[in-house]
Amino acid sequence: MAETAQEPEIKDEDLVARTQNGDPRAFDDLVRKYSSRLYGLVYNMTSNHEDTNDLLQDIFAKAYRSIKGFRGKSSFYTWLHTIATNMTINFLKKRSRSYKMSLDDIDNGVQHDPEFIELTSGPDARREVNLKELQVRLNEAMMKLSNEHRAVVTMFDIQGMPHAEIGKILGISEGTVRSRLFYAHRQLQNYLQEFLTT
Amino acid sequence: MNQDVHKLLRLKRYEMPSSDYFERFMDEFHRRQRAELISRPTLSILFERFMNAFPEFHVPRMAYATVAAAAVALSALILFNQQESGASSSGSFALNSPTVTTLPSAQGDVRFPVSLRSDLPPHYVLETRPVSYESPYSF
Repeated sequence: MAETAQEPEIKDEDLVARTQNGDPRAFDDLVRKYSSRLYGLVYNMTSNHEDTNDLLQDIFAKAYRSIKGFRGKSSFYTWLHTIATNMTINFLKKRSRSYKMSLDDIDNGVQHDPEFIELTSGPDARREVNLKELQVRLNEAMMKLSNEHRAVVTMFDIQGMPHAEIGKILGISEGTVRSRLFYAHRQLQNYLQEFLTT
Repeated sequence: MNQDVHKLLRLKRYEMPSSDYFERFMDEFHRRQRAELISRPTLSILFERFMNAFPEFHVPRMAYATVAAAAVALSALILFNQQESGASSSGSFALNSPTVTTLPSAQGDVRFPVSLRSDLPPHYVLETRPVSYESPYSF
């Protein structure tokens, strides 16, 4: 088997510096690096693929326009996530209440996820879970949360960010992150009761 | 119980668009960038570049009110000057106008002029200005 040499990952700071010096290809690398992650953030806050696509384009466009002003006081990761979260929350404030969910397909990998296996076939499984139904119910439950609570849940539960990082992105204390999570989990628990083990 | 909610929510990370989506995303990003460059006004681009170059620059809180007040004051000054020059020009016009004699009246400032020449129509003077010779815009 041929050995493939893995290219060392270029640091964000280098890519940012090159972009600031007028190399647009460096910004393309940043887009490639973060588009999937930011997609997850925006999608789980909007529950709509088309809105996510448009917002993500706007987010990267804004980041590109503003990158000259980025002074590195926070990491690029935090800075970009802050732009994304603020723009998404502003968008959601303007979006009409009568929007329709437009959900992405679920990756087949979920079938092998230990948590999913536990949920569907463990001794505590309360009912046979229909994957599509679970997806819809999860998204409905998420959309019942306020925008601010949904942002915290998305970053912590779905994206696995630490409390401190979420606090930096949202400009709130770790304590506030924890209390928002506590409140949001309690609400979600009620909405998702039928999928939860006793 | 919160741990169960957490596990359930973790499953949402499997909701993703198809694999070629992100390739198309980059093409779309470049296309929008080009379109924006063409459509945006130059002033807007320059202003944004200025703001990006000096991110610490913020418009002072009372700046808008101060500018508005200055604009009002300037407008008032211009109007006042125009009135002044209008008054002086009508004064010079009065010098060229036919001689009129005003009769003393008991009704304060309103005077009734009488022309000394009988072949000219009478001219009425209000506040010592010959009204009938005023340009229409004076009113």
